[in-house]
Amino acid sequence: MADFSWDIRSPLDRALTSGPYGAQGEAGVSLTEIRNFGLVQVMARRGKAGEMAKAAKAQFGVAAPETPKAVDTADATLIWSGPDQFLVLSKGGKHTMESLAPGFAGSASLSDQSHARALISVSGGKACAMLAKLSSIDLHPDVFAVGAAAATSMDHTSVTLWRGKDRADRQSVFNLLVFATFAESLWHTILDSAAEYGATIGHSEELA
Amino acid sequence: MRIVCPFCGERELGEFTYLGDAKPQRPAADAGEEAVYDYVYLRDNVAGVMSEHWYHGGGCRAWLKVTRNTLTHEISAVEPAAGAGAAKVGA
Repeated sequence: MADFSWDIRSPLDRALTSGPYGAQGEAGVSLTEIRNFGLVQVMARRGKAGEMAKAAKAQFGVAAPETPKAVDTADATLIWSGPDQFLVLSKGGKHTMESLAPGFAGSASLSDQSHARALISVSGGKACAMLAKLSSIDLHPDVFAVGAAAATSMDHTSVTLWRGKDRADRQSVFNLLVFATFAESLWHTILDSAAEYGATIGHSEELA
Repeated sequence: MRIVCPFCGERELGEFTYLGDAKPQRPAADAGEEAVYDYVYLRDNVAGVMSEHWYHGGGCRAWLKVTRNTLTHEISAVEPAAGAGAAKVGA
């Protein structure tokens, strides 16, 4: 029998080239792919939304979002992904199917999405202007404030989008999760969109 | 055209997929061939207010029941379809 060697590689491994991109000078946009994260989808079973909410509170110490929002806990981010469902995003896969399953037994179904999505963090003075070309959602901070989330589409691709805490230099931060097989396509669209502002490209294992 | 998703808020048409008339109800198993034929194949071509199923596939993936005027595209009501988001469906 043949031996297989499975390497874990980012879906953006081929497309992402670290360094400056597009217009020269001070970069208006930072594009950072976040790697090695854990992502678990939690979906309430029929009629068990209330029980799932209680289980989430017990597990994380804060209520899971019931409207399009992203909530930070001590060691995870809970992101609304649709009615009666949310995603548990954690650095380095701190929360896994195994660690979450007992708490949600009977109230919710879990599904590991860690390797099914790519996570792209978009920040900088021109982040909002760049994303406005791709999204029909109003991303102005008065409407889409820190912690706001949306299940939406960009370039005909489903994404989960949320606004993170502003950077230390007070620039906006947007995070987007995209299906792994669509990540490269969306990445190229993002590069085209960011080129006029100049971009700094990199990857990290730190959640923004 | 925009649809106000009860879960996500106002979104562009491109995020939604149209299914069709929300009125037909699956007939009982013993309702007879004619009732099943009607349910599967026959549709009214409404000129005016119609109840329709739409799918928010480019967003929260919920099925919605939209009341739309087919002449003006005016949407007068949007509610979750049965089974979509248990927390919001009363019945």
